[in-house]
Amino acid sequence: MFDATDSAASGSTPGVQAPRVGVFVCHCGGNISDVVDVKRVAEEAARMPDVVFTTTHMFHCSDPGQALIEQKIREHALTRVVVAACSPTLHQITFRRAVERAGLNQYLFEHVNIREHVSWVIEDKEAATAKASRLVRAAVNRARLLVPLDKRRIPIHPAALVIGGGVAGLMAARDLGDRGMKVTLIENRPFLGGRMAQLWNVFPTNEEARPLLSDLVRDVVKHPLITILTGAHVVNSEGVVGDFKTKIKIDARGVDERLTYPGNAIAACPEETISEFDFALSRRKAIYMPYPGCFPPIPAIDWHTCTKCGKCVAAVGGKGINLDAKPRELTLHSGVIILATGYDPYEPLLGEYGYGIFPKVITLQQLHRMLDPEGPTAGALPFDSNTPVRIGFLHCVGARQIDGVNAPQPDGKVKDYCARTCCTAAMHAAVALRERFPKSHITSFYQDMRTYGRGHEEYYEQASQQGVLFVRYSPRHPPRVDKDRAGKWPIVVRTNDLLTDGLPIEVPLDLLVLATGVVPHDISELVTMYSCAVGYDSFLLEVHPKLRPVELAVSGVFLAGCCQGPMDITEACSAASAAASKAAAMISQGQVEMDPFIASVDEEVCTGCQTCLTVCPYDAIVRDEARGLAIVSEALCTGCGTCAAACPSSAIQQAGFNDRQVRAEIDVLLGPVVGRGPVQAPAEVVT
Amino acid sequence: MTTNGATSDRQPGKLRLGMYWASSCGGCDISLLEIGEHLLELIEVADIVLWPCVADFKYRTVADYPDGYIDVCLFNGGIRSSEQEQIARLVRRKSRTLVAYGACAMDGGIPALANLKSTREIFDAVYHSNPSLQNPGHVEPQTHWATPQGDLELPRLYPQVLRLADVVEVDYQIPGCPPVGTQVWKVLQAVVAGEVPARNAAVRVGCDNRSVCDECHREKRKVRIKEFKRPHLAIPEPNWCLLEQGFVCLGASTRSGCGALCPKAELTCRGCYGSAGLATDQGTAMLSAIGSVMDAVTEERANELVGQIADPTGTFYRFSLASSTLKAHR
Amino acid sequence: MSQVETVQPPAETETPLAWEPRIIAFLCYWCSYTGADNAGTSRLKYPANVDIIRVMCSGRVDPDLIMIAFAQGADGVMVCGCHIGDCHYIAGNHKTMTRMPLLSRVLQDFGIEPERFVHEWVSAAEGDKFARLVRQVTEQVRQVGPLDWPGRMYRRGVGHGEDLQPWGDQA
Repeated sequence: MFDATDSAASGSTPGVQAPRVGVFVCHCGGNISDVVDVKRVAEEAARMPDVVFTTTHMFHCSDPGQALIEQKIREHALTRVVVAACSPTLHQITFRRAVERAGLNQYLFEHVNIREHVSWVIEDKEAATAKASRLVRAAVNRARLLVPLDKRRIPIHPAALVIGGGVAGLMAARDLGDRGMKVTLIENRPFLGGRMAQLWNVFPTNEEARPLLSDLVRDVVKHPLITILTGAHVVNSEGVVGDFKTKIKIDARGVDERLTYPGNAIAACPEETISEFDFALSRRKAIYMPYPGCFPPIPAIDWHTCTKCGKCVAAVGGKGINLDAKPRELTLHSGVIILATGYDPYEPLLGEYGYGIFPKVITLQQLHRMLDPEGPTAGALPFDSNTPVRIGFLHCVGARQIDGVNAPQPDGKVKDYCARTCCTAAMHAAVALRERFPKSHITSFYQDMRTYGRGHEEYYEQASQQGVLFVRYSPRHPPRVDKDRAGKWPIVVRTNDLLTDGLPIEVPLDLLVLATGVVPHDISELVTMYSCAVGYDSFLLEVHPKLRPVELAVSGVFLAGCCQGPMDITEACSAASAAASKAAAMISQGQVEMDPFIASVDEEVCTGCQTCLTVCPYDAIVRDEARGLAIVSEALCTGCGTCAAACPSSAIQQAGFNDRQVRAEIDVLLGPVVGRGPVQAPAEVVT
Repeated sequence: MTTNGATSDRQPGKLRLGMYWASSCGGCDISLLEIGEHLLELIEVADIVLWPCVADFKYRTVADYPDGYIDVCLFNGGIRSSEQEQIARLVRRKSRTLVAYGACAMDGGIPALANLKSTREIFDAVYHSNPSLQNPGHVEPQTHWATPQGDLELPRLYPQVLRLADVVEVDYQIPGCPPVGTQVWKVLQAVVAGEVPARNAAVRVGCDNRSVCDECHREKRKVRIKEFKRPHLAIPEPNWCLLEQGFVCLGASTRSGCGALCPKAELTCRGCYGSAGLATDQGTAMLSAIGSVMDAVTEERANELVGQIADPTGTFYRFSLASSTLKAHR
Repeated sequence: MSQVETVQPPAETETPLAWEPRIIAFLCYWCSYTGADNAGTSRLKYPANVDIIRVMCSGRVDPDLIMIAFAQGADGVMVCGCHIGDCHYIAGNHKTMTRMPLLSRVLQDFGIEPERFVHEWVSAAEGDKFARLVRQVTEQVRQVGPLDWPGRMYRRGVGHGEDLQPWGDQA
């Protein structure tokens, strides 16, 4: 036998008091009231069942405006609050807090948008007022069905995992450690430093990159609370915020600190391969250190290249090198995770602006390696300071691309976003080259000059004053790079200069530097493991770019640096500190609070069909085999409501967005309207 | 079955049992026989006072019964004509307990699929345009026909199939097309013993409160559907969920109680036990479920997969169109 | 007389002059609702016929809610979500993407014209796309006229009989 009747009628349940709804309509200083008759909206709302108080106010988000809400809640014993104002993205939290201060559960509050969705977009005042009134009354009907919800609280394991040992990861780890948090920093390469270590000199301070980095690395290495693991890869991740269990595999380094003369070992090695640190400008041995002063200060063995011939071992008397070292696995337990996996420079396609075909076409990254006194050319460029050498910088390579104009990547997409840092980087390099080669001619081929940051415009100014020429090209007609037929110069760049009304020009060059864009370092496995949202441009997607810029929708996982989008070292460090701050705040509270809009299965109703298990993108629903029911994990559920919509027995409801609440809105919005034909009560839906 | 304080509300002596068929195929009447040998036990304790399928009961006889004379009337078939409405009202008055028996009386059943067409379209197809017809005189049914022997009145057809509960107050519902014998016997036993739940039009008896998936022996592997298959064009793998294999099985949106007979016999569940849980529209329940487990991450693939489902409306709403949210074609 | 003639429902009433399309839009909070906000902050103008119901994810939009909206008198329904690949909840919009075309087919079988049911992806930055969508859907629903499902079903006689006397009670 089974009773299928729906027992709850409206907002009231037998034996429970009817809700007392208060409606507050904001003028928004005229932004709303210039178009919408807010008094009328309040009056019409007052006629709704269970509404015991309505009012309007000039600025409800102001202190007096909020105080009014609190006062009226107490005065009229309100149990539900509706505020009609701007978008909830701005002030939902403000009003929720006001409601809470007045002693009411903050989720007994409904926020109606009658500004961005009504007064700012509808010209006809009558239509706008009618619409605002409808939306407010619909919200009242919904508010009557709200129930108190508690933010979910989950205990936090007091440790952090930072994934990525570049400048952002190091910064985040240091900040966390300085706050007294235990941190494990993992880096999948054998050496820390990331992309910053590959730079020669950085803007806007013109300091050398690696000494700056070394200071940071030293702080991290010395820190008693920070553990560093290099050659470490995430294999598997389980758990949720507060209780992440990450299994990592640590490559065998093959070398330990007992090795006293690394130089001898390296010299003895007969195997060589391309140096990825030098962007293929040099070769390195199978046992190697990328640069002096790297950390860990011991070589690593590249097992793909190593043939285990043993010559290195022989060269150092057998101490400190173990060619039979094995990888090991270990599981890390953390409460929060910071992703600092960084970027890779855009690799131009073969032939793109002559890259890979003309040896004099290089990337800006390669230029940095060449300018680095500790780099593959010991800081020398293939010309001396007396030669009137001609150098070109081509901006927007692999950035701001246009579908149909630029060749797509293997995944079929073009890189249509601006890579942000390359204009400043190009100008910084141009100024440095002009200073070092006073007789040089430098030309910058650009689309727009985006030297936006503090101290950045100065490079552009300086370059300009130093006689760098600027040629503006149209993104639809990128410059062509050809061999110089006359043979006088290595290459020629041809384009139409928009600054002189499209004049076609030809610029012969000795060297062309491509200012390339960036792509996020490939972390598709991590993205899957942590269920990260990823944007169309493949960078990780934050919860909200302004209000929650370093948080992912997955609670407890934070973003630091270029995994989130192109940014320079300054910005990456800010982001890292922000992420560390958020992570530390979470840990120090001992527990984390999450929005309570989670799904739950009514065990009386669940029919055991298992549809929801396949539907959840977070695998947050499991089956209780004993009872044949589905159960939603409160901690894993992020509150999308997809399962609630999929359930064929209406057994799953999403708190705050259950069927009755949504239908309550529909009931008001589709009421009788002037001009409609005879409307009877809607067809009965039998329960 | 449990009692919950309700009175049996039947008269002393043998149970007076009735069965009526409205817009029906006769299968529900036959299903009463599926209680098998229990029929002999039933005859011991019950008298059949109305069963036009089996014996000659005149309407006059029924009209002459005192009100409430029939203890329990099992009413199968939907309401599609004026006669059926009139008899439904008659039977309601003459019965203490009126049960909507079977999918047609409860949800409209397969005949309710006709609600997607107008009566005109149906008549055209049945009497005029069908290629195997020979109807040169364009004859079609009339409500009134004068003959030398007298005037003939025939019932009026309604524009759509209605449920029993749309015209009279219903006390209980028994789902199924037809209800399976074991469940029917359980219900009859309870009725005879006087152990019935409180009267409520929404209460369904003779069934359970799970889905057919719950009763089905097949294993779910939690995989998304990669391709839809027609049952007559592919052979299903045994022991694996039919829906996951791509056969449109309605088990997830169908109430349990039948023992998952069809999936056990390598057929997809057709949904004849009606909606499950709190769902009121079985068609969209199935649409939501199937729509949520397809294997597609691009719009092209989504459209391709959706295109592989033949006749979604007819399949998802096979037995329940008259209970759906939209109810009928505009 | 033919049984068909006696039972045709009365002819549909003419479109009353003051009729305005009534359209319900389900918007997901993270992308399309914010996209609608973007239309507002850009002060774009569009007709008042579209009422917005906020959900956290377009995946929350149960096809039954859409049917209920039509059944209760909506002339049009819109569902907007994040672009594929951008869903705040990873794959909620994948479910929307597979449900909506299937629902579309079923709605058409019920005689609801395809112009009345629109599903589109609107990102947080696409205020002008949202404004254009509202204008376009309002106009195309205006062209197909009022749906008035409750009125239609009532006139069709759905959900109730003809209140006849029980058999035998006639004179």
